[in-house]
Amino acid sequence: MTQILIADDEEAPREQLLAALTRAWPEAKVVAAATNGADAWDAFLEHEPQVCFLDIRMPGLSGIDVARRIGDQAQVVFVTAYGDHALDAFDAGAMDYLLKPVEPERLAQAVQRLRARLAASTHTEASTQALLQQLAEQVRRPAPLAVLQASVGRELRMIRTDEVIYFESDSRYTRVVYAGGDALLRTPLKELLTQLDEQLFWQVHRSVIVNHRHIAAAVRVDEGNMHLRLRDRTETLPVSRHFQALFKGQ
Amino acid sequence: MKHARIDWQQLWYSGRRQPFTADEMARAGADTPSPTLLANAGINFAVIAFVVMQLAPSSQTARLTAALVALAVIGTSVAKWLWWRPWAKPLLQAQFGVAALSTLLVYGMTRRVADRADRESIALAMILGMALLLSGFWLLVLWRAAQIEGRLREQAEREKAVEMAGRLATAQMEPHFLFNTLASLQHWVHTKDDRAAPLLDALITFLRATLPMFKHPLVAARDELAAVERYLQIMQARMGARLAFRIEVDEPLRELQLPPGALLTLVENAVVHGLETKLSDGQLLLRGRADASFATFEVIDNGPGPQIGMHDGVGLGNVRQRLMLSCGPSASLTLGAAPGGGFRAELKLPLIASKA
Repeated sequence: MTQILIADDEEAPREQLLAALTRAWPEAKVVAAATNGADAWDAFLEHEPQVCFLDIRMPGLSGIDVARRIGDQAQVVFVTAYGDHALDAFDAGAMDYLLKPVEPERLAQAVQRLRARLAASTHTEASTQALLQQLAEQVRRPAPLAVLQASVGRELRMIRTDEVIYFESDSRYTRVVYAGGDALLRTPLKELLTQLDEQLFWQVHRSVIVNHRHIAAAVRVDEGNMHLRLRDRTETLPVSRHFQALFKGQ
Repeated sequence: MKHARIDWQQLWYSGRRQPFTADEMARAGADTPSPTLLANAGINFAVIAFVVMQLAPSSQTARLTAALVALAVIGTSVAKWLWWRPWAKPLLQAQFGVAALSTLLVYGMTRRVADRADRESIALAMILGMALLLSGFWLLVLWRAAQIEGRLREQAEREKAVEMAGRLATAQMEPHFLFNTLASLQHWVHTKDDRAAPLLDALITFLRATLPMFKHPLVAARDELAAVERYLQIMQARMGARLAFRIEVDEPLRELQLPPGALLTLVENAVVHGLETKLSDGQLLLRGRADASFATFEVIDNGPGPQIGMHDGVGLGNVRQRLMLSCGPSASLTLGAAPGGGFRAELKLPLIASKA
């Protein structure tokens, strides 16, 4: 059964799409309805759906950011209101998009196209991914966090992000391991992800982000499993399937 | 194939043929000749007079001086006349008139001179003077027409830029906002949600207030604030608990006149760039206060605040421009960080000018 993820930061259009999809594609299942980009990306890693309907303007990560991270791992359809500049880039038909308010006929058309692409297992082309990368870079975003604040007992520790070795999700908190020890942060990992320098910190698992300078080796355990060995540390970190492409060797 | 023919009129004068209208002259040609220009003309004439005197026999000095003075008086008044009519027809009239007058003058002066060589040198000197005077008219009209045309073009470009920016700003506001709002509205109508009716009311009031707003150069702050409040109500309906807002404006300030859309653009900016990018707990404050000489409106949000490489978009650039045009140079728009993070936009208006 085809699994679908939808993401929109506004309640009404999200629910409308959900209802319309149930009618237009009864044999598919919406596994997650995210309310922002960070949640959408997290839900993607959790459920690994085959199809994602993403609003373009969302807090946390934009729809374009999420699509770029998804890469060719799922079919992406953008959902946006008329007048979005990002749409100009997709006029060539590189990517399907729906305009809000979503019309049932147009949605049916998109579903038909998605079914065909899934059956033929057509992936997003490399040129489209390059375009997404370009669009994502145009979006203004705040400068990455330079210092993290973690309360340990009575003190508030100031941890410089470039000293961090890795972050690990711990239910609603995030455990940060750095040169001087470890501490708990109140920000969930999926939110922290949007505030870190992407060049320095690589997400390797739904619940692990690592400073790539501390990676000593990527070890393939068997067909599906991989883990990372770190410099001067004994623990290993898991690499989930989606991120194994980061370590494919030269 | 048509043969290109010599355009004789172009050969004589290649400048402007079409007269300027009274309105064009009033807008771009109302200035009088500058002192520099007058000094320049004076010096040129003195040099010509000197050359003419050198060419002529010394026995005729008195007559020639009288003739030159006459030419100077005629030349100046004709040049003044041309200053207000810098196009082909008056130039032609002036040149023919002065040429005829000079010919009469030469004839009158040489009639009683007995010596043939003397006669010739007087005639030569006077014709030379006349030729220089006529070229002077020609240059004056050419230069003056170019000056006025340049000013008119500049004015037209400036007006067009302002108009374009205004249209862009409205167009930029409408479609994305409108269709997103309609999407929510449609869903709530279909599902018979109670939020539909108030959202529709707010949207209608907002559109009714904003669409004609940009036709006027100024609007009362009271009307602008009503539109801002509707806008925020609509965004709050759509964003739910993610947006909270407050509007605190002193009562007397509501009578002020503002360029339309100024406050709305600032609020819209805060919502779109500051609060829509926040996961939760977005807050917006619009505050208006006055002291003795200035009214200050502030729009403060608790979003990510100013960012590196940030610059005025079309909307803000447009507000700044219209603010200068309608409220004078002491009005200002300042953008920066809000105390405690977030973004702060401050609109400052001189109280005397904006009340007028």
